[in-house]
Amino acid sequence: MQEIFDHFFDFTIPGPILMSYIIIGLLIVLCIVVFILAKRADPLKKPKGLLAIAEIAVEKVDGLVDENMGKSFPNFGAYVLAIALFIFTSFILGIVSFPNPLDGGQTSLGNPLTYLGVPLSLALCTFTMIHVTSIKYTKWSYFKRYVDPIPAFLPINLLSMWAPLLSLTLRLFGNAFAGWVLMSIVYWACGSLSNLIFANLAAGPGSIFIAPLVAPMLHAYFDVFSGAIQTLVFMFLSMLFVAQEKPEEIKAEERLALA
Amino acid sequence: MDVGLIAIGAGIAMISAGCSSIGEGMIASKAIEGMYRNPEMASKLRSNMIVGIALDETCGIYSLLVAILIIFVLRG
Repeated sequence: MQEIFDHFFDFTIPGPILMSYIIIGLLIVLCIVVFILAKRADPLKKPKGLLAIAEIAVEKVDGLVDENMGKSFPNFGAYVLAIALFIFTSFILGIVSFPNPLDGGQTSLGNPLTYLGVPLSLALCTFTMIHVTSIKYTKWSYFKRYVDPIPAFLPINLLSMWAPLLSLTLRLFGNAFAGWVLMSIVYWACGSLSNLIFANLAAGPGSIFIAPLVAPMLHAYFDVFSGAIQTLVFMFLSMLFVAQEKPEEIKAEERLALA
Repeated sequence: MDVGLIAIGAGIAMISAGCSSIGEGMIASKAIEGMYRNPEMASKLRSNMIVGIALDETCGIYSLLVAILIIFVLRG
């Protein structure tokens, strides 16, 4: 009991969480800038610079949503673009790893997706979206999905309900965490090798000479390429999981043909 | 616990990554076959291929997580 009270006023924020706040702040500033630019722009002229990039991105994402989900989700592109921006920015800013100012450089502000809570909350957003869409389209027969063929399937259905959440979380977390572990091992190995070779030549610590030659290629793969692929996959899977919940509508001609 | 046994366990956990890479190769080869047979479907096939490969890669990532957990948790 005492421990709970001791930790109740302990407001230490872990490095990755602080980094995710920073990323959210940056994205909010970006969104406000794009909003102001869009308000002031002349709709009859060609958009320039940042506004043109934003328009291309919104158009592409809306096209993807139309192609994968059909016409019945007109505003889903906003959610998908927001999630994609957050994931890609966190992979890109994860390269830099500033020291954490809150605990005096003990930990680093790395990729926030290496902290299980962050990908879990992203996946929870999509999970909530799946169930809200299901309730919206099926109303009270939503609960029928838990007793799908026969009521004896209730425990199995209750377990398989969590599968999308688990797979979305662990895919993001696994990629980010594996990249981070591999990069730490590479930095450690390069540091030791360089220390062996250059220890007598350089006056200061001689462990910084080999890593800059090796690390950029690996960063390009593990952070930029893997980040882009994971962003794309998270977008696609969110769209497919949500679109799956909408029941198939019988078209008018088919209904006539059936009658 | 013996460090060698932990390393062997982590290595066995990674066998699953090899299996998932075989699956990824099969997905990619079939998708490319389809793209050459029907080039106007190429963009749709490519996006489906990426989703399929990502779903398949999940298995490899799970095994990698298990291996990392075995190394870092069992070592104490």
